[in-house]
Amino acid sequence: MNDFEKQIRDALARKEPSPGFEARVLAATRRVEARSSWWNGLFSGRARWASAVVAAVVVIAAVGWRHERDVEERAAGEAAKARLEQALKITSVKLAKIQEKVEAHESN
Amino acid sequence: MRSACLGWMALLLPLAAQELKLPASFDKLAEKASDVVDITMDSSMLQLASKFLSDKDPDEARIKKLVSGLKGLYVKSFEFDRRGEYEESDLESVRAQLRGPGWSRVVGVRSKRDGENVELFLKSDQGQVSGLAIIAAEPRELTIVNIVGPVNPEEIRDLAGHFGVPRMDLSFPNTRKSTKEEQQ
Repeated sequence: MNDFEKQIRDALARKEPSPGFEARVLAATRRVEARSSWWNGLFSGRARWASAVVAAVVVIAAVGWRHERDVEERAAGEAAKARLEQALKITSVKLAKIQEKVEAHESN
Repeated sequence: MRSACLGWMALLLPLAAQELKLPASFDKLAEKASDVVDITMDSSMLQLASKFLSDKDPDEARIKKLVSGLKGLYVKSFEFDRRGEYEESDLESVRAQLRGPGWSRVVGVRSKRDGENVELFLKSDQGQVSGLAIIAAEPRELTIVNIVGPVNPEEIRDLAGHFGVPRMDLSFPNTRKSTKEEQQ
């Protein structure tokens, strides 16, 4: 048996776990389960309702904010439209007046 | 970088130059006036207003088309309880701007009898009308209108009859660029 074969044999040889290995594995498993049950708890029972209410409030707030923005935008747009119409009205009145004067002058 | 800035300035200056600058004395006129209309609409405001004009309503559709190319619309109007609340000198700086390049006074009507002086100015750029200004000085009313952008006075005239303004059969001598001075 050469050195290489000896190294392989040693590496693949059965070894007993260190003392307390089983206890450490079980403890780790319990920690994972505990975290999992907290996460699951969020979506079960009262917590599930609370989560749904929070989600609904967020959605309603978003819709309300959007609606308010639309209302403000509409008000600003309608105001701009009214100002535009007023400006064009004044302009058309003045143009009409100028033309009236020109025609009166030409007819004289 | 510097040449790029100069390039932008060269592009923007002609647009900025079309907007009339009203003198500070106009603020004092506002204090004397019984009624003041001050409308300032830049292109973003015009676009916003345009969004709320219906395409189905013929009147609104006409306005929408009219303002679609405009870059600015400015109206300042004062109504006074008494005559003589403003001076001719208040208008001099406005008229000076309208003597600048591109502007032509196409109509000027002065009535000594009524004490009225109304003038229509058009700005042309490469053969196209690119701005309009009106100075309407009446004994108890002073109005300055400035429209920046491609505009046809006859299209605005056509709006008459739609805002409670009587429709009149008008034609503007903008094409022949003549000046009429009426001395009554």
